[in-house]
Amino acid sequence: MTNNIERCSKCIQSKNYPKIKFEENGVCNFCNKKNKSTKIEASFIDNAKIKISNLFDNRIKRGEYDAVVCYSGGKDSTYVLKLAVEKYGLNVLAFTLDNGYIAEVAWKNIRKVVDSLGVDHWVYRPSSENYKAIARASAITDVYRKNTLTRISAICNSCISMVNITALKIALEKKIPFILAGFTLGQIPINAIIYKNHYKFLADSRLESLNKLREEVGDVVDDYLCIKDELINEVKEYPHNVNILCIEDVTETEIKDAIAPLGWVSPKDVDGCSSNCMLNTFNNYVHEEVFGYNPYEMELSHLIREGLMTRSEALDKINDSSVEQIAPIMASLSIEKNDIISVKNVYDSKR
Amino acid sequence: MSSVMILEQILNFIVDTYMVEIDEIPLNESLIDEGIIDSFGLIELASFLEKAFLIQVNDDDLTRDNFSSINKMIALVDRKKSHD
Repeated sequence: MTNNIERCSKCIQSKNYPKIKFEENGVCNFCNKKNKSTKIEASFIDNAKIKISNLFDNRIKRGEYDAVVCYSGGKDSTYVLKLAVEKYGLNVLAFTLDNGYIAEVAWKNIRKVVDSLGVDHWVYRPSSENYKAIARASAITDVYRKNTLTRISAICNSCISMVNITALKIALEKKIPFILAGFTLGQIPINAIIYKNHYKFLADSRLESLNKLREEVGDVVDDYLCIKDELINEVKEYPHNVNILCIEDVTETEIKDAIAPLGWVSPKDVDGCSSNCMLNTFNNYVHEEVFGYNPYEMELSHLIREGLMTRSEALDKINDSSVEQIAPIMASLSIEKNDIISVKNVYDSKR
Repeated sequence: MSSVMILEQILNFIVDTYMVEIDEIPLNESLIDEGIIDSFGLIELASFLEKAFLIQVNDDDLTRDNFSSINKMIALVDRKKSHD
């Protein structure tokens, strides 16, 4: 773990974060850059607010639902589901990918929240064997480029790719114009608040990692990470991914207060950076072992720079890890310490 | 706007956004193949071109050919500007 590592004196980005430089008073180049770009970001967000209002106000009803909401049961996607229904008045289909590691309390939250908001809910559970094979391959082989993993762990990236692809399949099959998810700025770039989910255009960028997963796991990965040509060839218009949480100026406490009336409570059996998934501690552990920094550093530092979290709160979050879960998860994925050392060596050789 | 000015703005954006040095950025190679950007990077670049050069990048423009290198992106911006 990276508890005692040298960090920026303003945020929590550490000395192993790619391209970091500590400048005057121990402040990192990312914090100093942020000071210069605040006005540009503010205008981006103002424009995104207008565009989102226009998109939702002028939506054309083509099917039963206005939006599919990727609903993990965590606090952020719960808040997004609430906003979609109550603020924007969308008729939504909530969708949960059950990866087999969602905490029991999170499942209770999911059921209470969808019932409280009165929305339809669809759960998709990939076969446990296939999910674990994909997770294992993601953790112990160089499936992704280092640049892709600066703000997310490898297993989380594969899992979120499954969520995105499944949500896109649902949207295309049911002619749903919008896909919403609980991403915050820091997790995704500011230019990606709203984008057309153009499968064919983006497919090339995923090909290298997809081929590596196929090599490790087999062609079964296509069932979870690809969309069949029959469906894609019929597409007249791709849905928009709209990340509505990115335009909200809201703290974690305010989010939790807002979703508490829906019956949502904080799970106790997850780490400080997740409010639903018990894989998270292990994913962070692997990332720290391989790259030397926590994959949440960028996201939490963004919240600090925006004044939505204190540095001390952020440090508490990344230091709050359920270390007792690491060994059982490693066993469940048939991963040994040497596997992690091997992938670290592969990534190190690319530096 | 000249192609050199378009190039300069695209390079500045890439240096600023993807933590690379200017001499690490190829002009005729795929930024994906070089490991500089991923799928979010493609989304970002398309959005950047629209905002920086005041052009509309339509669904039909989102092809591998148009985004397979910086020089291809410059050609896309040139074409779009010349149709204004």
